[in-house]
Amino acid sequence: MNNIFWLVPMASLLALSFALYFYRQVFREDEGTDIMKKIAHHVRLGAMAYLKQQYKVVGIFFIILTVMFAVLAYGFNLQNPWVPFAFLTGGLFSGIAGFLGMKTATMASARTANAARKSLNAGLRIAFRSGAVMGLVVVGLGLLDISVWFIVLTYFYPTGDTHNMMIITTTMLTFGMGASAQALFARVGGGIFTKAADVGADLVGKVEAGIPEDDPRNPATIADNVGDNVGDVAGMGADLYESYCGSILATAALGAAAFINSSEMQMKAVLAPMLIASIGIILSIIGIFMVKTKEGATQKNLMQSLEKGVNLSSIMIILFSLGLLYLLQIQNWLGIWGSLVVGLLVGIAIGKATEYFTSEEYAPTQKIASSAKTGPATVIISGLGMGMISTVVPVIAVAIGIILSYILAASGDMSNMSMGLYGIGIAAVGMLSTLGITLATDAYGPIADNAGGNAEMSGLGPEVRKRTDALDSLGNTTAATGKGFAIGSAALTALALMASYIEELKIGIDRLMQVSGNYLFPNGIEISTRAELMNLGLNDFMNYFQVHLMNPIVLIGMLIGSMMAFLFCGLTMNAVGRAAMKMVDEVRRQFREIQGILEGEAEPDYARCVEISTKSAQIEMITPSVLAIVIPIIVGLVFGVAGSLGLLVGGLSTGFVLAVFMSNSGGAWDNAKKYIESGHMGGKGSDAHKATVIGDTVGDPFKDTSGPSLNILIKLMTMVTIVMSGVTVAISLL
Amino acid sequence: MKTHLYFSVTPEALISSNLPPEKFGSYLAVGTQKRSRGQAVFFELDSDLVGDIISKDYIEKNCVPRPDGTPKRTLYLSIYRVLERVPLEALKSLYLTTDDGKVLKLDQSDFEYQKRESLYLYQELCPVTPRIASTLNPVDFVNFVCDSKNNISVPKLFCVQLDLGELANDPIAGTANDLPYSNIFHLRDCLAGLLQNSNKVTKTVVRFFNGDIQYRTCKNGFFIGDGEKCLFYPFPSKEELDDKYHSWWRSALIMGF
Repeated sequence: MNNIFWLVPMASLLALSFALYFYRQVFREDEGTDIMKKIAHHVRLGAMAYLKQQYKVVGIFFIILTVMFAVLAYGFNLQNPWVPFAFLTGGLFSGIAGFLGMKTATMASARTANAARKSLNAGLRIAFRSGAVMGLVVVGLGLLDISVWFIVLTYFYPTGDTHNMMIITTTMLTFGMGASAQALFARVGGGIFTKAADVGADLVGKVEAGIPEDDPRNPATIADNVGDNVGDVAGMGADLYESYCGSILATAALGAAAFINSSEMQMKAVLAPMLIASIGIILSIIGIFMVKTKEGATQKNLMQSLEKGVNLSSIMIILFSLGLLYLLQIQNWLGIWGSLVVGLLVGIAIGKATEYFTSEEYAPTQKIASSAKTGPATVIISGLGMGMISTVVPVIAVAIGIILSYILAASGDMSNMSMGLYGIGIAAVGMLSTLGITLATDAYGPIADNAGGNAEMSGLGPEVRKRTDALDSLGNTTAATGKGFAIGSAALTALALMASYIEELKIGIDRLMQVSGNYLFPNGIEISTRAELMNLGLNDFMNYFQVHLMNPIVLIGMLIGSMMAFLFCGLTMNAVGRAAMKMVDEVRRQFREIQGILEGEAEPDYARCVEISTKSAQIEMITPSVLAIVIPIIVGLVFGVAGSLGLLVGGLSTGFVLAVFMSNSGGAWDNAKKYIESGHMGGKGSDAHKATVIGDTVGDPFKDTSGPSLNILIKLMTMVTIVMSGVTVAISLL
Repeated sequence: MKTHLYFSVTPEALISSNLPPEKFGSYLAVGTQKRSRGQAVFFELDSDLVGDIISKDYIEKNCVPRPDGTPKRTLYLSIYRVLERVPLEALKSLYLTTDDGKVLKLDQSDFEYQKRESLYLYQELCPVTPRIASTLNPVDFVNFVCDSKNNISVPKLFCVQLDLGELANDPIAGTANDLPYSNIFHLRDCLAGLLQNSNKVTKTVVRFFNGDIQYRTCKNGFFIGDGEKCLFYPFPSKEELDDKYHSWWRSALIMGF
């Protein structure tokens, strides 16, 4: 094994060490007054109760799927024998990352509020470093899992043989399925939980009872705070953990395929994405230390503080990766570096476009606010329209990113598909290379939000509230751009995964040939040797499996893929509606039955609301989650490889655009309301304000449940298809 | 248990209660047995100065704690033409209650003009409830409405001055971004009409007020007078509300549907 590989586990351990360091640093801080501790305790208990319940449900799913994979692998020899174990570790590491991130976030809110009593910088430092724990745990555990599997597999399949490297990389790819499944439950369950609590709390609290947000008299207020953590910390973390690992693993598999004729170059191509990610970790840590501000900082100053850390890491990764690829002397290192830079730029472009379409500073959101003058109907119409238009820039950015990264890596030779696709994978890795710090800015949002809630509920002074409000407001901006980043990275990752599907098919066919001696493609061509199989290019596979647009099976797959995106959204939206109704009923019941709640003389039953959200989320997430796993399997069994690829293309193209649309519409509705609240179109309490409150409520499940869940759907369907490729090539009805 | 006497302005009623003002306001807003909400604006009265509009014997006999020891929350004494009969001298503090039962106490103060404006907007709260645009300052407005020499007048008036922002001096071109009033174009027309017609000092903007007071639109404060005397209850500035009365102010900013 190449010595430079050891940088990868070292970087992962470094990330985990700094995560521990930041955790201890935050933990040493005081939680503040008794009431602050009490509120934080309620949130912590709720979050952990949710996580415990979720892991129970996920555990059952994992047992069922592991048994299924084991039967397929050991009973029917249709599956890679490592898959059951890889699947389990992927899920386990993702689960641990979610648990640690949530634990830190729920521990940090009161400490952030308390630190804000001293200074703005102290509050920012605690909140951001707590977010950094999540960021570093995700990248640290992700790379650790990759490192461990690489070490284990290279022991069983010695490097030097290019076919072995193919087996290693495609086997490692399957651990992404575990991460995907975990992410699915975290995102869907977390999304339903958070919006059921949020919508329920708002509908009864604000609209019916006239109670402000984060008011301890509202029984759903703790559930709302818990929801911020389970949705935006655990859910976002699991989503990006999957993208991070998926992009590295898919690129490694594509690298192994691109350099099938040179074991030395193949090793470099496989290691390159891991090494880029390792350098990204070191630079993220440096960036995290750069984030600080001064007392009396304006909102712009605060944003600049965060941007300073993120931008520094991004600029340095561009420079250091150039040096790394040069030192590796990988073929066309400059072009591959260009692909990486393209990935980073696409991420920035999507983030900026998201900000433009969702921030109240810009015309699109202001136009939605303006449409509120004629009532809620026009707010809904303009928000839907604006969300649809907002898909243009991200789609074009990704399209340009795909073509540029392809051309650069393929040295301008469009027919060099294997290098071109490797370039696309590298672009995804580039976009996610500094995930340690970008995820820190995402996870910072809910921590600052909860800190603001804690400060309100604890009755801290006006100066402290101003500081926590400033931190919270900054978190709202980072959350919106973070969503755009998550969607963009999911799209590129899914594309890289899809490209690596062919390599999985090769391994699956090879396994079949070991049993039957030959393999008959759907177009009637038969092969009987491994050499024949390994010499087949991507275009050959497309021809042999009849993956072309005139094949109705491909079109059927595409239609089903598109339908899946809408079905998934519909199910998750309805799930939020039903769960919110249960929450509304419960809050009404408590107001009715617990004497003295509104007078502040009796404490509401917070735990009951958390329980309702938890149970609803667990029940409601089952149907969409099962469909996301089962449909790709059925499509593969019925329509074969052509149908599966159609499904993935349909799912990716529709899911990506739909996710951008939903997230941006929801974000724009939210900020249109805030724009009016800041003194426009009549301000708070005006008819226009009421119209935008309706828009915001409609947008809640758009931006926090269905939109983000689509990221997972497109990646998970690809992962399931990849993992089931052995079965698909063996059995398909059509 | 002490007995309090209250004059509820919205709706007009004279009420005796064992509850102190904060609890009384909260009770009026949200009740106890079932969940309800609704603003309440009321004065505490000095029972020694209200004269014969109440029967002290009746109150002593009926406004007593219940058998279980809980206070008597409300004993309605009158629900008609109360303001007209309550002497201004009997008015103590004014209490503003939010939808969710948070209570803000306002004490009487002398009214001093901060800055004279061309135009004013008043929400009459009792005994009638139109919203009126006027060229008169608050005290002159109350005196004008209560002047029996006018064709139309009321014996006493309780009203609040509302914020007009830039419209106070420029109803045509002034910005109204943070004014939450419905049909802002009609308001502009009314104000502009007053400026154009110097013989007219008031113009009805809304004939009947059927909503809640948006406390954030209150300017200067509340006025109550009978044509000869005008009492003033200053409303704190937004900064003061945010700093000193944060809990009340947060609730006051929430407007339900």
